[in-house]
Amino acid sequence: MTFVLGALLGLLLIVALLAGLLYRQWRRSATLRTQLDAAAKDLQDLQQACSRFAPAGVLQHLVADGVNSQIQPAPERKIVTVLFADLVDSTAMSDRLEPAVLARVLNGYFQRMSDAIHDHRGHVSHFLGDGIVAYFGALQQNPWQCNDAVRAALAMRAAIREYNVELAREGLPPLGLGIGIDRGSGLVGLVGSRERMEYDFVGRTVNMAARVQTLTRTHHVDILITQALRTELDPRFTLTPMPAELVKGFADPVVTYAVREGPTDAASAADG
Amino acid sequence: MINTLQEIAWESCLVEPVRDRALQSYARRRLGIPNPMIDYFASVPWLARAVIDLHPEYGLLMHLDESVADLIVLVVSQENSCRFCYAAVRAVLWAQGMSQARIERMERDLARSDLPPRTMAAVAFGRTLSRSGPVRAPEARQALRRVGFGAEEMKEIAFAAAITDFNNRALTIPAIPAHPVERIPDQIHMRLLRPFLGRIIKKHRYRGQPTALDQVPSYAYARLVKAYAGSPIGAVLNRTLTEMWASPHLTRRCKLLMLAVIARGLGCETCSLEVSEALENESLEQSALTQILSHLDAPELDPIERLLVPFARETIWYEPASLQRRARKLRGHLTDPQLLEAIGVAALGNGLCRMGAMVLNPS
Repeated sequence: MTFVLGALLGLLLIVALLAGLLYRQWRRSATLRTQLDAAAKDLQDLQQACSRFAPAGVLQHLVADGVNSQIQPAPERKIVTVLFADLVDSTAMSDRLEPAVLARVLNGYFQRMSDAIHDHRGHVSHFLGDGIVAYFGALQQNPWQCNDAVRAALAMRAAIREYNVELAREGLPPLGLGIGIDRGSGLVGLVGSRERMEYDFVGRTVNMAARVQTLTRTHHVDILITQALRTELDPRFTLTPMPAELVKGFADPVVTYAVREGPTDAASAADG
Repeated sequence: MINTLQEIAWESCLVEPVRDRALQSYARRRLGIPNPMIDYFASVPWLARAVIDLHPEYGLLMHLDESVADLIVLVVSQENSCRFCYAAVRAVLWAQGMSQARIERMERDLARSDLPPRTMAAVAFGRTLSRSGPVRAPEARQALRRVGFGAEEMKEIAFAAAITDFNNRALTIPAIPAHPVERIPDQIHMRLLRPFLGRIIKKHRYRGQPTALDQVPSYAYARLVKAYAGSPIGAVLNRTLTEMWASPHLTRRCKLLMLAVIARGLGCETCSLEVSEALENESLEQSALTQILSHLDAPELDPIERLLVPFARETIWYEPASLQRRARKLRGHLTDPQLLEAIGVAALGNGLCRMGAMVLNPS
């Protein structure tokens, strides 16, 4: 009798011990699940915050490809159209305006220009001072990248005109814009050091677009494109050839074309 | 971002639903449950039927594991930010007995590297095909081969991914309301019906049986259909394409031009060649076609083509709300059936071209 009671008690003890262990394990899994949910939420918030610092398309590529892993997405050789935009006489303006006003004016300018670029399937890669570097055809295959880039430039011209009307209402000086566009082959992908990497396009096209942008001052126009771009451009764009000029870093004089206007798209034409 | 699709901007619906009893009963027969979404496509019957028929889960797969196909559908819908499709996949998983928490965990697991290698490769393929298109197809195909997928399974993976690309666009561009589907797991009556729903859905999901092609097709993308000969996929694609070509709302030339633009935008040379050959029979000079494909416009285009050629391009890579706004602009210039047919052709073109890149170039 005592033996049976002892065995029963022992069995109960083992069952209680197992139940305790199971409960502990269940609590631990629940805690881990909560922590995992919180980490996932943090990651989502971080992704959303990061989207302010890098184009959403770039960010999704990196997150999905596992940027933190040892294997990074391999850079690819691609033909990309580069648009380089800069403000004319911005140094004089920055000397005249209060820092807070200047920051507001510049943020308004960056927002409008980025929207125009994004609307035409480009992505802004960097802001350099008050300059903007944007790529067309870097993230995704785009056989219409030349037309897109020039349409984006025309939209930027229209946006800056509208913005100048707003600035004039506030008694602020107008902004002037210079845009250079070139097209060529280069390397697209993650480049940089171990500490800091960027999704970028590397090639002489970037330098050429920057140099062509400086020529807008020489030729007193706002949008200039290179011969390489013109070859691929829809012939219905109205262009004016400019005299060839030598630019820093390139041996031969560069032939450029000023962009006057573009063809109207079918939907707008149908709208009348 | 890709996990928070309920926050994706979604415009109000572009088309009015039209009650069609015949279509509804067809959907009920195929899927087992009523499908109110079909009413939005009623004015273009081939598209309505395609949205019902072109689902990997319902009798079309003979070789690929169904759970892998489910994951491909989920991942591609995430990639394309299709709120409707994403909510629909979640609702089906929920009806089949998965808790919301488990569905969320499964979504998170999709980004982890400890899934079985075959599943991971199939999911990565779906992502690549959807995000990068045919350009990356050769390396994605190699990755599938390395983990041991056979040729028939690979064709079914391509179908599952590409046809989700089709469905995503067909439902995203007209902005079919996603809220009713998103709300399903929260509704009391749906919770009560859940066990029955799950059973009905399971009953209607079945393995495909070998199916012969009724006739040998002779139109653009016929080679793709022939590549699936013997599989139920071939028969369904054949019927969808035959009905699409026969549909009267847009001309055959307009549809071919849209397909040509999409093939060029995605960089699929095989598809471009096939569509170009078909366009030669549509009284369009080669020089005019070159001009259209280079600049998305030419004097030879009629007014509807001038609208739809650039629109086709917009459907290749897109953000839902922005594409929905662009489609809305067409509403003033096209009838509802014309707009829906254009959406269907563009959606189908995107799916077929991605499928073709994998299946028509298997070397």
